[in-house]
Amino acid sequence: MGARTKIITDPLSDNNPITIQVLGICSALAITVQVENAFVMACALTFVLTSSNVIISLLRKQIPGRIRMIVEISIIASLVVLVDQTLRAFFFELSRQLSIFVALIITNCIVMGRAEAFATQNPPGPSLLDGLGNSIGYSVIILLVATGREILGSGTWYGIRVLPEAYMGNGLAVLAPGAFLILGVIIWIQRTVTNNFKDD
Amino acid sequence: MLKADRHLFTFALTVCVVVSALLSTAATLLKDRQDLMVELDRKRNVLSAFGLDIYDEDGRRLGVEAVDKIFADNIREVILDGQTGELLEGLTSADLDPRELRDKQKLLLYKWEEDGEFTRFAFPISGLGLWSTIYGYLALDQDLATILGVTFYDHGETPGLGAEIERDWWQEQFEGKKLYADGEPADFRVIKGGVSRRYPDGHPSAVDGLSGATVTGEGVARFINADFRRYNRYFETIREGG
Repeated sequence: MGARTKIITDPLSDNNPITIQVLGICSALAITVQVENAFVMACALTFVLTSSNVIISLLRKQIPGRIRMIVEISIIASLVVLVDQTLRAFFFELSRQLSIFVALIITNCIVMGRAEAFATQNPPGPSLLDGLGNSIGYSVIILLVATGREILGSGTWYGIRVLPEAYMGNGLAVLAPGAFLILGVIIWIQRTVTNNFKDD
Repeated sequence: MLKADRHLFTFALTVCVVVSALLSTAATLLKDRQDLMVELDRKRNVLSAFGLDIYDEDGRRLGVEAVDKIFADNIREVILDGQTGELLEGLTSADLDPRELRDKQKLLLYKWEEDGEFTRFAFPISGLGLWSTIYGYLALDQDLATILGVTFYDHGETPGLGAEIERDWWQEQFEGKKLYADGEPADFRVIKGGVSRRYPDGHPSAVDGLSGATVTGEGVARFINADFRRYNRYFETIREGG
């Protein structure tokens, strides 16, 4: 497998930001009650992470070491504000549902993590791929968690009813602990299947 | 000054200038459209409280023109005094400082006009939920007692829990409930665990609470009662005067 392909495929499974590195958990818990919200969040994060990786990588030789993190956060925060403002202007209903969580992409550890671990040390091309790969790795997992929570919690998927009307809806799946449980199961399955875990 | 320091300051300054220019441009460009969307959403909520379908035949939400046309054709607004409930002739919401409406020193009332007669009434409701102030509209039938519809359009309640107050199924429960009975304002309630558990035969002024959102529900009941009493001073004059 080529080095470039590996940059993209690695974060999908062997080095998944959520299930292996256990980053970005806050948003994985907060916006996964409904698949629609998770989907918009995934798109927003993909834009922010990929752009921030490219921009930081382009500036990597100019950014002074001592204010490196402040500069990174400024760039990430600006991108997030852009996304938030655009959603408010063109996708009003969605922006209202996501409320605070779009703004919270700023504190998503994956974005800062990739900037620090990859973009500051690699050229823009690979950084773009790294951003994309990690975004997809993140998106797949939150969509899975949201699928589990929306079906168990509300009997629907993307707002479409999949379980009969009589289904009561599991309150636990709607609450944050439900997300922990589902995420835990996903991590368990993934680590068992790929045999990728450290056993002390 | 060391060369490295100079670079540090220049870089930091450049980042600040570029980023703030970019963001203020974006905010300015998008402002008009955002305001338009907020206003359109507010008006749609008024219509929805009045019991109108806010979707057209294609299942899309009504646009600016359609909404404005309904407002011009059927909806008349009047302003009431927040303390006394007196009708303040000749005032419209455009003449007021928005703060006066927000603090409820002045009250906005929408009347639905049909064949020269006022058949429905809607007014803004707002108050604290669990985390935030919830804003919405409530419409009453001609009897000034029966709820025609209620909407909540702005709040910061927990998504999936308190935020479920936006759901149609929850808001539909309010339809037909009484805010006024036996010559006085009724005590409207949002009941944790469901109305039918406590009142097997139903209750004229109560709706089911939302699981995991008890405080939000209690807040909604509290401010619906409080706001109705504000407007009721004016409604009494209609009831008496006919």
